[in-house]
Amino acid sequence: MDNLVYSLVFMPIAGAFVSYITGRRYKKYRDYVVSTITILEFALAVALLSKYVTGGLTGNMTEMSGVCGLGLRFTVDGFRAVYVCIAAFMWMATSLFSIEYFGHYRNRNRYYLFQLVTLGATVAIFLSADLYTTFVFFEVMSFASYVWVAQDERAESLRAASTYLAVAVIGGLVMLMGLFLLYHQAGTLEIDKLYEACRGKDVYVAALCMLVGFGAKAGMFPLHIWLPKAHPVAPAPASALLSGILTKTGIFGVLVISCKIFLHNGVWGTFILALGVLTMAIGAVLALFSVDFKRTLACSSVSQIGFILVGVGMQGLLREENRLAVRGSFLHMVNHSLFKLVLFMVAGVIYMNLHKLDLNEIRGFGRKKPLLAFIYLMGALGIGGMPLWSGYISKTLLHESIVEYTEELAQHPGAAVVFTAGNMKVIEWVFLISGGLTAAYMTKLFVAVFVEKNRDAALQEKYDAQKNYMSLPGSAVLTIAAFLFPIMGIFSGSTMDKLADLGQSFMGLTESGEKVAYFSFNNLKGGLTSLAIGAFLYIIVGRLWMMEKQQDGSSVYLNRWPGFLDLEEYLYRPVLLVVLPTICGCVCNILDKFTDTITSFLIKAGAVTAGFLNTIADAFVVLLRKTVYRDHTKMGEPKEGNELTNYLGGLANAASDLLNRTLRRGRSRTADYKHKLALDYTGLKETIFLITRSLSYGLILFCIGLCATLIYLLVGAVK
Amino acid sequence: MNASTIMLTSIFFPVFLGIAILLIPAFSSRKQLLAVTGAGLVITGILALWTLGSGSTEVLLLRLGDKLEIYFHPDNLGYIFTVIVTIVWILSGFYSFEYMKHEREEKRYFGFYMITFGILLGLSFAGNIVTFYLFYELMTLLSLPLVLHSKTREAIMGGLKYLFYSLCGAYMVLMGLFFLSKYADTLKFTAGGVLNTELAVGNEKTLLVVVFFMIMGFGVKSGMFPLHAWLHTAHPVAPAPASAVLSGLIVKVGAFGIIRTVYYLFGASFIRGTWVQTAWLALTLITVFMGSMLAYREKMMKKRLAYSTVSQISYILFGLALLQPQAMTGAILHVVFHAFIKSALFLSAGAIIYKTGKTNVDDMTGIGKEMPITIWCYTCASLALIGIPPADGFVSKWYLATGALSSGTGVFTWLGPVVLLISALLTAGYLLPITIKGFLPGADFDYENLQKKEPNLYMIIPLLILAALSIVLGIFPNPLTEYIQTIVNIVL
Repeated sequence: MDNLVYSLVFMPIAGAFVSYITGRRYKKYRDYVVSTITILEFALAVALLSKYVTGGLTGNMTEMSGVCGLGLRFTVDGFRAVYVCIAAFMWMATSLFSIEYFGHYRNRNRYYLFQLVTLGATVAIFLSADLYTTFVFFEVMSFASYVWVAQDERAESLRAASTYLAVAVIGGLVMLMGLFLLYHQAGTLEIDKLYEACRGKDVYVAALCMLVGFGAKAGMFPLHIWLPKAHPVAPAPASALLSGILTKTGIFGVLVISCKIFLHNGVWGTFILALGVLTMAIGAVLALFSVDFKRTLACSSVSQIGFILVGVGMQGLLREENRLAVRGSFLHMVNHSLFKLVLFMVAGVIYMNLHKLDLNEIRGFGRKKPLLAFIYLMGALGIGGMPLWSGYISKTLLHESIVEYTEELAQHPGAAVVFTAGNMKVIEWVFLISGGLTAAYMTKLFVAVFVEKNRDAALQEKYDAQKNYMSLPGSAVLTIAAFLFPIMGIFSGSTMDKLADLGQSFMGLTESGEKVAYFSFNNLKGGLTSLAIGAFLYIIVGRLWMMEKQQDGSSVYLNRWPGFLDLEEYLYRPVLLVVLPTICGCVCNILDKFTDTITSFLIKAGAVTAGFLNTIADAFVVLLRKTVYRDHTKMGEPKEGNELTNYLGGLANAASDLLNRTLRRGRSRTADYKHKLALDYTGLKETIFLITRSLSYGLILFCIGLCATLIYLLVGAVK
Repeated sequence: MNASTIMLTSIFFPVFLGIAILLIPAFSSRKQLLAVTGAGLVITGILALWTLGSGSTEVLLLRLGDKLEIYFHPDNLGYIFTVIVTIVWILSGFYSFEYMKHEREEKRYFGFYMITFGILLGLSFAGNIVTFYLFYELMTLLSLPLVLHSKTREAIMGGLKYLFYSLCGAYMVLMGLFFLSKYADTLKFTAGGVLNTELAVGNEKTLLVVVFFMIMGFGVKSGMFPLHAWLHTAHPVAPAPASAVLSGLIVKVGAFGIIRTVYYLFGASFIRGTWVQTAWLALTLITVFMGSMLAYREKMMKKRLAYSTVSQISYILFGLALLQPQAMTGAILHVVFHAFIKSALFLSAGAIIYKTGKTNVDDMTGIGKEMPITIWCYTCASLALIGIPPADGFVSKWYLATGALSSGTGVFTWLGPVVLLISALLTAGYLLPITIKGFLPGADFDYENLQKKEPNLYMIIPLLILAALSIVLGIFPNPLTEYIQTIVNIVL
C-alpha cells in the first residue's frame, strides 16, 4: 500500500518538474509527458480502487513520520479510493483536452507545472488520514491552483485570481486556527480518532473555524464569492477541475467535521442544513439570471454544492437512520464532479472556437453540431435531475431523506432540534424549486446555444459552416464521459448503488440496507414536480423577463441581476481592502511614531528650556558688558596681534616683496604675513587661556572635593 | 589545538583580520581584498564549526573583578546561534563580493564586516552576562559603520537613530546588571536562574522592575514596541547584504539576550504569572500586529522588509514570553528560520536593486520574467515567512500557537494565535504581490523587449542556498526541533 500511495501523491509532483524542464526546450514532448503522467496516475488510482475492493491492500495507514513537523499520514477507504479515481480521471480528461485548448497560449509550461502539482496535492488531500496532512496539502493545492485562474493574465483574470487567492489564504488561516484549537482540545488530528477524542468536549469554535476554511473552498454561502468570478476567466479545463474536484476537497473537509467530529449531531446538522439550503437556493437563482455560459455553470456549481451540503446536514439530523442522506450526498458529489467535467469542457469547446462566452454572442454556435449537442444534453439532463439520468438518483435520495425526516418530525414533534415539521416542509419546497431552477438554467443554455439562431445572420452562417470545432482525442474523452450519465442512471443498481456502498463507511454508515426503488411513483413524483417547476420558471424568467425584444424583432438576453447584490464588490473588498487597513493603519502609524514623537518632543522642550535659561544669562552678560566690563581699546595698539607679531610680519612682508621684485620676478605677494602671524598668536593665546582656565577649574573642583572630604572627615570624627 | 584555543581563535581571528583589512593599504586593490575576505570568511566558518565539533569547553579569559569575568562557555543554545551566524554571515559575505561593486569604500565595509563576524561568534560563546554585555556593546558600535556605509544624509540619520536607541537599550540592560549582581551569587548563565533566594526575598518587586527593564533593553535590539522605531529607519539604508545580516542576525541577538536573561539568569518561574509577563506579552502582540500592518502599507521594498522584521521578531519574543516549553521551541525555531528567510528576502531585494535599480514595489511588474531565479527564491522565502506548508515558517508557527493555547496565560492563550494568523494574512498581503506582479505581469506585458537580468553566481548561489534551506527545514524540521527541545527541557 505504501508504495502505491506514495506514487499517487508524489509522482505527479515530481512529474510536474520533469514536464517543466522538458517544456523549456521541447513544447511537444512536454505535452506527451503531461498526458503520460495523468494517464499513469489514473491507472494507479484504478489499481488502488481495485485493490481496495478486492481486499488486496495491506495495512491501513501510510506514515511519513516527522515530515513537516507532525508527520504525514495517509489511509485508504472506499470513499477515498473512489475520489482519487475520479480526480485522476478528471485530470486525465482535462489534460488530454488541454493540449488542443491551449494551442497558442503563452506560459503553458507554467500552467502544466502547477496543474500537476495540484493533482498530487488533491490526491493527497483525499488520502489524508489526519487533518494536519489535509491542511498541508490543502495549502499547496490552493496556492498552486491560483496560477490556473490567473493563467491568461488579463486584468479581469488577475482580479478574479486575487479574489480566489484571498479567499484561499483567509480560509486557510481561519482553518489553521481551527486546527490549533482542535489539536489543543482533542490532542490528536487523526481523522478516525477524532470522534472519540472530541466526545464530551465543546469543540464548536474549532469546528466553525475549520468550516470557514473548507467551506470557502467548497463554495459555501457566504464564501462562494470566488466561484462566479474565477470560473468565467479561468481556462476551461481549469474551471472543470476547480468546480469538479477542488470544491470537493472542501466538501471532504466538511464531511470530516460532520461525520467524524459531530457524527449524528443534530445541532451541527441543522447548521449545515441551513447553510446548504441558502447556498443551494442562491446559487440556483444566480445561475438562472446569468447571461454568461461559464458563469451560469459556476453558479450552478455553488447551487449543487448546496444540494450536497443539504445532504450532509440531513445526515446529522437523521442520526442513525441517515442511510438515504449519506448515499444521496456521496452520489451527488460523484455526479456533480462528472457533470461539471463534461459541461465545462463544452464551454471550453465554445471558447476555444469563439473566444467568447456571452450568451448573445455565442448564440446559435451549437446548431448543426450534433455531437456537441449530445454531449451537452447528457450533462444537462443529468444535472437537471431527469429520470433515467444519474442526477435523478442522487437528488431523489436527498429529497427522500428530507421527506423521511419531515415524517419523523410529524410523528414525534418533540424530536425537533430547531426546524419543525413545518419548517422542513418549506425546506423540501426550496429543494424542489432549486431542482427546478437547475433544469431551467440548463434549458436556458441549451436553447441559447443549440436551438436559437444568432441575431447576426452572417455570423450564424459562419457558425453553421464550422465543422472542425473539436479534435479527436477531446471528443472521444467527452463522448465517453457523456455516455456515463444515462448508463449510471438506467443501471443504477449495479453502478450507483455499488459506488454508494463503497463510499458510505466514511460517513459512519456500515449496513447496506434494502434497495431504494428509484422509479416508484412516490419518488418519480418529486423529480417530476421539480421539472415542472423548472419549465414554468424557464418560461417566466428565462424567456419573458430576461429577454428583451429589439426593434428588428429579434431578442437579446439581458442581465437583470441587480449589481449592488455583489457581496464581493460591495462588502468584502471595501471592508478588507479599504476600511480595515485604513483604520488599523492609522492606529499603527500612531503607535509607530509614538516613541519618536515623545523623544523629539523632549528634545524640543529641552532646547526651549535651555534657550530660555540662555536668554536670561545673555541678558545678564549684556548688562555686565554695558556696565562693568565695558570694552575699551587702547589707543595706538594694533588691531590684531601684538607689537612683536606686527614687527616680524612687516619684516617677512618686506622680504617677500623684495624677493618678488628681484629673484621671482613678476609675482605678487600671496599672503599678508602680519595677518598670518597675528592669527597664530591669537590661537596660541586662546589655547593658553583655555588651558589655564581648565586647570584652574580642575583645581577649583579639586579644592571643593578636598573641602568636602575634609568636612566629611571632620563630621565623621565629631560623630 | 585544544577546544578552547579553537574557540578563542574563531573569535579573534576575524577581528584581527578585519582590523588588518582596515589598516593595511595593500588591500585597497579589489582583488586582494576579496581574496583575503573570502579566505577569512571560510576559515572563520571552519573554526566556528570546529568549535562545535570539539565538544564542551570553557575559558576564563580575564578577571576584572569579583563577578566581572570575561568567560566563554558555549552551550546548545550558543551552538544554534553559532551555526546560523556562520551560515548567514558567510553567504551574505560572498553575496557582497558582487553587490558591493556598486558601492564605494569596499575596504571599510569588509573590514567591519569581518570584525562583526568575530564579535557575533563571541556573543554566541559568551558564558556569563558580563561577557555577553561586552560583546553586545561592541556589536552595536562595530555594526554601525555598516549602517552608515553610503554616508548619505539618510544613512547618517538612520545610523544615529540606531546608535541612540541601542545605547538607550544597553543602559537599561546595564542598570539591570547592577541590581542583578547584588542579588545573585554568580553571573554565569545557569539554566533555571542564578538568583539567590535568600537575598531576593522581600525584593521581588524591585527585581521584577529590573527584569522588565532588561527585557525592554534587549527588546530595543529586537525592535519591540515602543522602542522599535530605529529598526525600520536603519535597516533599509544599509547596503543590502548588510541589511540581510542586520535583519537576519543582529536583531536576533536581542532575543538571544532575553533568553539568557529570563531563562538563564532570573529563571522562568520568577516572572511567570507576574505583571511583567502580561506586559511583555501585550507589547509583543502589539508589535506583531503593528509591524505587519505598517509593512502592508509601505511601498519601499527594503523598508517593507524591515517592518516585517519588526513583526516577525516579536513572534519570537511572544513565544519566549509565554514561558511554555512548546512556545519556546517555536520561538527558537523561528529564530533559525527567520534568520534564513529574512536574509533571503533582503538579498533578493538587493539583487533587484543591483540589477534594475527598482526600490518601489509598484515598479516591479514583470520582474519575475527578468530575473526568474531571484524571484523564485524570493517566493520560496515569502511562503515560508507567511507560514504556508511545507515551508518552514509553518512549523514554528504551529509550535508557537499550540504552545500559546496550553500556556494558561488567560486572554493571551487565544489572542496570541489570532494575532499571529492576522499577521500571517498581512504578511501574505505584503509579500505576495511582488511575486504575483513579477510572474503575472498582465496580458499586455511587453515580452519583446524583455531582457534577462539575472545576477551572477556570487549573488545567486547564496540566495538559492537560503531559499532551499527555508523549504528543506520545513519538510524535515524534526532533527532541529529535537535539538531545541533538549535546550527547552533544561530551562523549563
